[in-house]
Amino acid sequence: MKNGYAGKFLQIDLTEAACSTFTIEEARLKKFIGGSSLAASLYIERFDINADPLSPSNPLMVINGPMVGSGFPGSSRFAVASKSPQTGIWGEAACGGTFGPELKRAGCDGIIITGRSPHPVTLSITDSGVEILSAESLWGRDTYETTDLLKSPDKNIKVLAIGPAGENIVKFSAIANDKGHFVGRTGLGAVMGSKNLKAITARGSRAPEKDDEGKYREVFKRAIAEIKDSAFAESLHLMGSDAAMDLGMMTGDIPIKNWSIGEDFELSASLGGPALREAYLTKAHACSNCPVACKRVVAVKDGPYRTEEGPGPEYETCCSFGTMIMNGDLAAVIKANELCNRYGMDTISAGAAIAVSMELYEKGIISPEAADNLDLSWGNMETVIVLLGRIARREGFGDILARGSLAAAIHFGAAAADCVAHVKGLDLPMHDPRGFHGMGLAYMMSNRGGCHLQHAAMAMEQGMVSWPQLFDMKEDYDGTTSEGKARLVFDSENYGILANSLSMCHYLIYCLKPETVLDSFNAVTGYNFNFNDLLLCGARDWMLKRGINNLLGITVKDDILPKKVLTALHDGAAAGSVPDVKLLRDEYYAIRGLTPQGRVSDEKLLELGLTELKDKLYK
Amino acid sequence: MEAYKAFTQEWMDAWKEKIAGSKEYREIAKDWEGSVSITVNADPSKNIPQTVYMFTDYWHGDVNEFVICDAAKAQSAKFIMTGDYARWKQVAKKELDATKALMQGKLKLKGDLTYVVRNIKTVNKVIDLLTEVDTIFPDDV
Repeated sequence: MKNGYAGKFLQIDLTEAACSTFTIEEARLKKFIGGSSLAASLYIERFDINADPLSPSNPLMVINGPMVGSGFPGSSRFAVASKSPQTGIWGEAACGGTFGPELKRAGCDGIIITGRSPHPVTLSITDSGVEILSAESLWGRDTYETTDLLKSPDKNIKVLAIGPAGENIVKFSAIANDKGHFVGRTGLGAVMGSKNLKAITARGSRAPEKDDEGKYREVFKRAIAEIKDSAFAESLHLMGSDAAMDLGMMTGDIPIKNWSIGEDFELSASLGGPALREAYLTKAHACSNCPVACKRVVAVKDGPYRTEEGPGPEYETCCSFGTMIMNGDLAAVIKANELCNRYGMDTISAGAAIAVSMELYEKGIISPEAADNLDLSWGNMETVIVLLGRIARREGFGDILARGSLAAAIHFGAAAADCVAHVKGLDLPMHDPRGFHGMGLAYMMSNRGGCHLQHAAMAMEQGMVSWPQLFDMKEDYDGTTSEGKARLVFDSENYGILANSLSMCHYLIYCLKPETVLDSFNAVTGYNFNFNDLLLCGARDWMLKRGINNLLGITVKDDILPKKVLTALHDGAAAGSVPDVKLLRDEYYAIRGLTPQGRVSDEKLLELGLTELKDKLYK
Repeated sequence: MEAYKAFTQEWMDAWKEKIAGSKEYREIAKDWEGSVSITVNADPSKNIPQTVYMFTDYWHGDVNEFVICDAAKAQSAKFIMTGDYARWKQVAKKELDATKALMQGKLKLKGDLTYVVRNIKTVNKVIDLLTEVDTIFPDDV
C-alpha cells in the first residue's frame, strides 16, 4: 500500500495459540487514522468492554499510525491500548523508541492480543509471520536482561517487554521498548502479564511506501529546518524534558511534597535539566529518525546510588522521585528511575504512591509496623530503593502500594484518599493545575484519567507554541485564570490527540509548524486532508473514547479535580490560586457538546460519524 | 515619573538604575557572569528606521556596561537576543513573557541555553525590572 500503512493487522489468541490477520478498509482509516484512536474503534466494535481488565477476553492492542516508519522526525511512536487495570476505564499509552517502525517494517500496522497463554510466552513478528515462543527462561527477569537476551541473536531485533512488576500484576506496570522507552501509563504492563506474555519482538525489512515520495522529501527538508530553528528543540536536545524543572519552578508548575508546597528553588537547581547535564549525562539518545535526541543517557560513577550507563530520568521522574518526596539527590533519582525501568513500572505512579505513603506516615495514618518498619520519612531514598523492589515483587507493604496510590490510601482509611492527587484513578502527572488552570481542565477531561499527553494544553497554556493558523489562541496565557480555558483545552485536545493517532511525538509536533505536520501526513497517506479534517479526527477520537468511558460508568461526577490541587498553596507563583472546576467544566461541556450528566449526546455522535457507538450508548 | 523613549541611552540608563537598585536582583543574580546583547530589528513602519543594538553586562549581582552599541559589539556578547520591534515592545510592556517568546521563535537566542535555564530567575528579574521603566514607544509617539 502506498499510504504509509502496511495493510495488515494481526489477531492473536494466546489461549488457543492461534494467529490470523485482518485488514481495515480505507474509510475507517480516514476516520480514525491509527494509534489509540483506531484501537478505540476496534475495541468498541469487537470486544466486550465490561470484561475485567485482567481477564483473557480483554484485548491488548499495539497499534501504529501511518507516519510510523516513514522516517519523518518524531514518527517513531506507537500506541498500546486496553481497558486499564489501574483505572477500570479506557487505558492507553504511547511510546517512542524503535518498536513501532520495526513492526511496520515487518509488514504490520498493529497487533490485537487476547486470551491467556497457559505458560509464559513471547511473540516473534518478522517478515515471514508470527511465532509464539516459550518464555519460561525469561519469566522473572527484569526488562534489561530480557531485552538483552532477546536481542542476542540479532541486535536489530526490537523488543517490547515487561518486567517482574507486569508479571506480578502491579497495577501501574509499564512495558519497556529496548530498555529506554516506556509504555508507561495506565498499567498496561499488567494486562500483558495477565496474558503470560513476557515480550513481543519485531524484525522486518520492508519500508512502508508513501503516497508522494517527492512531496515527502520536500516537507522533510522543511521539517529539519524548523527543528534547527526551534529553541524548544534545542532545549530538549541540551537538557531533555527535565529543562522543564527550572522553568516550571518559576511558574508554579512543579508539585512539591505531594502537592503541598509551591516553591523550592534549591530542589529545582539540584534536580533540573542543567544539573542532570552537568553531573550525570554521558550522551543524548534519539528515538528512530529523530534529530532532536531528547533522551538522556546517564551514569552515576560512585556513591550509594552508583548506576551503570543507561537510560536516564525524564522530567516527570525527576519530580516523582525528587520534588514530590523532598529528595534533592539527583543520583538517587537516577537509581530509582533505573529500578522502575528494570522492574517495569510507571515512574509517575510509583513515585506518587510513595509520596502518598510518606504523607500518611508523617500524619500517623501509616504506622511503622504497617510499613514493615521502613522509615518513610520525606526524602529517605534508602527506603525508596528498598520499597521499589517490594512493590514489584508485591511483598508486604509493597503489595499494598502495588495496588496503586488510590487503592493503597483507601486501604488505610477513607480520609487518606484525600492525600491522593488523581483523576479517574490515574495519578496526576507532574504539572500543577493551580499554576495552570487549563491543565486542570485537561486533567479532568482526559479520557485515560489525569494526563498531560492526551492534548496540547501544556504547550499552549505555558506558551511553548503559538498556532494561530489552527485556531484563535493567545500567545501568552495567564496560567492562574480559569476564564476562557475551556476553549483552549478543547482546541488543544483536538490537535494534540492527533499525536496519538498519527503516532507522532508531542515534542516534535510542538517544534513543527502545523502546516508541516499536515503536509507530511498528506505526503505519506495521500489523503489530502486540510486542518479541519485533521481536527475533526481529533474531536472524533475524544468523543469515541468518552463514549466508551460513559459505557464504563463515567459521568459528570468523575470530571473533577482532587482535593489536593483544590487546596491553595501559600507560596510560589501559584499561591492562592485554584482552578474554578465548575466554570471550567460548564464551559467545556457546552463547547464539546456533552449533556449536563457528562454523556455524549446523540446528535454529536451523528455529527462525528460515530453511529457504531450511538447504537451501544442509546440501545 | 519621567518617561523614556525606548531603545535610547537614557532609557537604558533608567533600566540599569532599576536593576542596580534592586536588592532582590543582587541576591538572585549572585551567580550570573556575562553580557547580553539585545538586537531590535529595524521596522520603519513603527518608527524604527534602523536596527538598534544594545549591550548589557552583569557580574555576580553588579551591573556594568549598559549602552547602545554597534553590531560588532553586540555580536561580542556572551548571549545575543534578537527580535522584531513589535515583539520587544510586547516583552517590555509585559504582554509577552520572554521565555515564551523564545520558545515560540519570536525572539532568538544565541548562547548557552543551559546556562540561561539554570539562571532563569535572574533573566526574568532583569525583564521584570525593565517593565517597571516608564517607557514611550516609537510607534506610540
